[in-house]
Amino acid sequence: MELIFRDHEIWMKGKIKTELDRFVFDFVKILDVRYVVVSGYVVILFGRSRGTEDIDVLTERFEPAKFEEIFDKLVKNGYYFLNSDDPEKLYEMLDDGLAVRIAKINTVIPNIELKFVRSEIDRFSLENRLKVVIDDESIYIPPPEVQIPYKLYLGSVRDIEDAVYLWEIFKDYINTYTLHHYMKKLGVEGEQYGIG
Amino acid sequence: MVLDKDLDRDELMQRLEFVRFYARWVKSTPNEVWSEQQAVLVNSMVKSSRNFLISPEKYLKMKERCRMRVHSL
Repeated sequence: MELIFRDHEIWMKGKIKTELDRFVFDFVKILDVRYVVVSGYVVILFGRSRGTEDIDVLTERFEPAKFEEIFDKLVKNGYYFLNSDDPEKLYEMLDDGLAVRIAKINTVIPNIELKFVRSEIDRFSLENRLKVVIDDESIYIPPPEVQIPYKLYLGSVRDIEDAVYLWEIFKDYINTYTLHHYMKKLGVEGEQYGIG
Repeated sequence: MVLDKDLDRDELMQRLEFVRFYARWVKSTPNEVWSEQQAVLVNSMVKSSRNFLISPEKYLKMKERCRMRVHSL
């Protein structure tokens, strides 16, 4: 894997995009607000061979009028919301801290699970997001220093595997101070898995 | 930590060793090569998931049940 790191950018030339990549990249192009794609998809983007049903996307908080604009653009581009077709109701869900799910019409999986940032970790992920550039397209992800502790915190076998995978891919570039800060914050330890 | 009931520590460690082995292979392999192999697997998963016949309502209920089960562990 050839990765080039430049400030807040990671360049990954020549990656052949999967249909899942296509689904996610096409979606984020429509989403013209600050966002970050988190959790399982990040691990898949960097080569882990596994599937996922849903792609978690966090965005900055925005106003109902902006949501209506995004809603219209998505519908025009062949997406629908699984929860409701009423933009007002959907915005209320987001505002209440819930996620809304979006898929291509006539499908349910894969889908985007979209929500507003809420916690300190969400905000750190958004404020310090990294731009991953693949040839002529790009996508934003959180720093691995936050993703790894978060995966350990979720704690299923698959999440621990994801944490170990990310550590192996990024260990030469990781800021261990930030990694340990978020591990402590989430009350997780990585030593038993060779992390940190 | 929420480990699967039927997976003991030795089994977990074996799985993690495979994850490390695979990650090392990806790291040492050109992007065009590892991603081509990954695409075969991921694309077949996406194709079969798109054919998964379930209504949005049932799917959302199923996800809610999963979420509640994880929270109760």
